[in-house]
Amino acid sequence: MVDKKHIGKQGEPTKVRIKAASVSDFAQGVGEMDPVYHDIEAAKKAGYPNIIAPPTYPIAFMMESMNADMFFELNLDMISMVHGSQEFVYHGPIVADADYEIVGRVADCWEKQGKSGILDFVVMEADAKDMDGKIVYTSRITIIAKQVDRSDEKEE
Amino acid sequence: MGYSVGDELERKLSCEITKEQIAEYSRVSNDPNPMHVDEELAQSAGHPTVFAQGMLSMALLTKYIQEIAGLGSIARVKCQFRHMTWPGEKIYCMGTVTEVKEEGGKTLVTADIRTETEEGMPRVLGDVAFYA
Repeated sequence: MVDKKHIGKQGEPTKVRIKAASVSDFAQGVGEMDPVYHDIEAAKKAGYPNIIAPPTYPIAFMMESMNADMFFELNLDMISMVHGSQEFVYHGPIVADADYEIVGRVADCWEKQGKSGILDFVVMEADAKDMDGKIVYTSRITIIAKQVDRSDEKEE
Repeated sequence: MGYSVGDELERKLSCEITKEQIAEYSRVSNDPNPMHVDEELAQSAGHPTVFAQGMLSMALLTKYIQEIAGLGSIARVKCQFRHMTWPGEKIYCMGTVTEVKEEGGKTLVTADIRTETEEGMPRVLGDVAFYA
């Protein structure tokens, strides 16, 4: 199974800029046509400093949230990997044309007998903070993959 | 409007899933998984065709909740992607209230939510907490 030593490991903070065009594009892609996702004037009228992102928009930053280096250290089977579940906790609106700092960590890992072998479960958690250091949302992604042979993994 | 435990959130047609919509979602969400866009690859993996991203259904569910409770009403949402959603399926959103409590002077409603097909086959299951 994925070594429990990984639990609690934290990646380097990654700075991302949420661009208005990308937010509007995403909103259109999921059928969110409310002007607060597309039109800055409408967003301002609704009390936001800029257009806001639909609730599931942070998935577009999945790789930043998981932190690539930390993720590859887990040595999961990339071929069989699936997105098992997703959770978001919101503390404020996700505003476009603003910078955020995303810090990902390995929150948990375990194994479970599946129909065709043992499966690895890994929960990666990430906080996105605005430039005042306030957490805007927390993302929790559960990844499931077929267990791979890790007997050649180095001891630390 | 007041909520009570056991209340059903009105079952509403969200959309009929199309291959174009799935491909478009891959693009806008930076989803690198070719299973959503490459018909041949999906079939070689034993699937009848490409399938929708779980996150696309989650987006439909959060839209559904915000249409009921308002923009910015969602405090927390979680979805499990156990079943696949296929092109051509008409996806409905629905929910059942499981808890109602007062939190910081506001009413926080927790509900089980799900998408299902027109025939009632479950697709994405989850739960949400929203301010009413």
